Amino acid sequence: MLELLEALVWSTLEFAPALIFAALGAVLSERSGTVNVGVEGMMRVGAFAAAAFALVMPTPLAVLLGMAAGALFAAIHAVLCISWRSDQVISGMALNLVALAGITFLLESMFGPSTSPSIAQLGRSGFGPLAQVPLLRALSGHTALTWLAAVLALAFHLVLGRTPVGLRIRAVGEKPSAAATVGVDVIRLRYLCVIGSGALAGLGGAALSTATLDRFEHNMPAGLGFMAVAAMVFGRWSPLGAFGAAAFFAFGRAVQIGLESSFPSVSDVVPKGVLLALPYFLTLVVLTLQGKKSRAPAALGTPWEPEAR
Amino acid sequence: MTPTRSILFYTAAAALILIPGCKKSEERSASEKPAGTVLKVGIVTDVGGRGDQSFNDSALRGLELWAAGKKYTGTGYVDTTPAEVKATLPPDLAARTPPIEKLPGVTPLVLQSRAQEDYEPNLQLLADQGAGLIIGTGFMLENAIEAAAKRNPDSKFLLIDSPLLDAAGKPFTLPNVRTVVFKEEEGSFLVGAMAGLVSKDGRVGFVGGMEIPLIKKFEAGFKAGVRTTRPEATVLTAYTGSFNNVAAGKQVAQDLIAKGADVVFHAAGSDGLGVIQAVKDARAAGRQVYAIGVDSDQSHVAPDAVLTSMVKRVDLAVYETVRDLAAGRFTAGDAAWGLKEGGVTYAPVRIDFPQRAAVLEKVEDLRRQIIEGSIRVPATDADLASFKP
Repeated sequence: MLELLEALVWSTLEFAPALIFAALGAVLSERSGTVNVGVEGMMRVGAFAAAAFALVMPTPLAVLLGMAAGALFAAIHAVLCISWRSDQVISGMALNLVALAGITFLLESMFGPSTSPSIAQLGRSGFGPLAQVPLLRALSGHTALTWLAAVLALAFHLVLGRTPVGLRIRAVGEKPSAAATVGVDVIRLRYLCVIGSGALAGLGGAALSTATLDRFEHNMPAGLGFMAVAAMVFGRWSPLGAFGAAAFFAFGRAVQIGLESSFPSVSDVVPKGVLLALPYFLTLVVLTLQGKKSRAPAALGTPWEPEAR
Repeated sequence: MTPTRSILFYTAAAALILIPGCKKSEERSASEKPAGTVLKVGIVTDVGGRGDQSFNDSALRGLELWAAGKKYTGTGYVDTTPAEVKATLPPDLAARTPPIEKLPGVTPLVLQSRAQEDYEPNLQLLADQGAGLIIGTGFMLENAIEAAAKRNPDSKFLLIDSPLLDAAGKPFTLPNVRTVVFKEEEGSFLVGAMAGLVSKDGRVGFVGGMEIPLIKKFEAGFKAGVRTTRPEATVLTAYTGSFNNVAAGKQVAQDLIAKGADVVFHAAGSDGLGVIQAVKDARAAGRQVYAIGVDSDQSHVAPDAVLTSMVKRVDLAVYETVRDLAAGRFTAGDAAWGLKEGGVTYAPVRIDFPQRAAVLEKVEDLRRQIIEGSIRVPATDADLASFKP
């Protein structure tokens, strides 16, 4: 029993980070008032860039460049949505399509159609004596990204809730004109948040290509970006909420996998599709119960026009 | 013709004329025409395309390298020597009679598909160019082959990995179409037998992609193989529910490895890369675990971790069909290629483990028994339940 639990925790810690980074990215953009459904595309760009750069430099450095690529890609979204005031959902979806086709093109022209060459993975840290203790063992053997995901979520929570810059981000997401009257540069702050969102999504993508696998695979991130957006809504646009939701998705998946292999008879009773859908079904239930309490930032999706007060 | 019908007709006709014109991604065939008769053989890849290191590359090898004796260099074809071709043949094919050698006059025409909408125009383009045989690689081309074969009754077609299916999903035949499917269960049986012999603790794993009848054939064959060589062994089974999600494949495989599986066979498409990665990680952490790949020899993904792969010989099916056509022996209809026909097998075992020679000998012995017919390999859960080793 203890071993089952240990396997569940280990698996969750291993697979949650990519989703957590992307969900935090979505929160950052949307709290500042810009809808971001382009997370999937930004992850794809980050995943590819990290894998490609890791061929010629140490992997941790390549992960940073993967973040930068995600940020650069998100900058397009920022220009479209903030400066040109285009429809934010359409811009995000367009970016997803561009990433799908563009990265496929780059992959094929550089490495061939299915994967990039293999790279050195991010290092995994064993915890010495801790690795012998049952249950605590589950904490050992992960990459730094696992711990970064937890730290980042907490830091983001503190910055957003307890610092002046966090207050400003919330203000431009709720009532940009009010923020502008007290001298906050709405445009600049929104730009920074969208670009930061791309960096986080890029980090999530890089986690897939440098920690989960040791190369970029042409289907990455296979819908994870959309799950991140769902985790953001589930987490009610708060960093800790999104963190919890993403961890819950990963845990739900681990439970489903563990159930299937440990108790094969379960799938005789419950159809496999139901098991696969279980985490998302639970999400629906929770969202329904939350009802109206779940509230998006007031100015979400509305471009800021200084003249239109 | 009613107005709606005629509009549909003209739209379709216009599409046929226009699409091949603008969507071609044709690769130049050798420009100089060899003396004697020229036999143009066209191939339409599925969206995986050239370089997928699997299905499509295998089909292209059968046509370009084996049948036409040409190597594709990225810009065009260069001729090869018979010795070069021979070097690419695995041992069992090198010993095949009649030998695999260049067929005079065969000229390859390759069209790659970027999207599913490309299949039909690509097939039609090849027919228009006078290809004597047109090959579609992959079950995804089933509908397109059917339509193209009906429209071009004088061209011959080969469809790999699926029979023609009518609207109700029932197989049917056309007089100018040959289809080849593979008995995946027989190849899976052999790798299962090997897994049972190699496993230290008698726990092995199977990771499937989506739970569909095709993948069930792999599972049933694998389990029967394990049961034959290691009756007391447990086969932990899990499905990822996808074919495109490496993270899911890895998560599932890690779960099986954590529960003690020390040989993991996957039939999960791209998810399988995650499976192999999980095995690689476990090996790095000091566990003695092996992965078994699928469709093509996946040893290059992780040379230390991949024990063998269950290989589908698409190249051979393509080559033999071209040879039949060249010899005037082309016949339409459905064929199922198993161990006997050389349609499935396992990839050369490149790693060392205890009792390697004895294990391989036992597996080869089982291969003989299947070919003789003394073992009937189950392809479904129901057959597996009544399977006695």
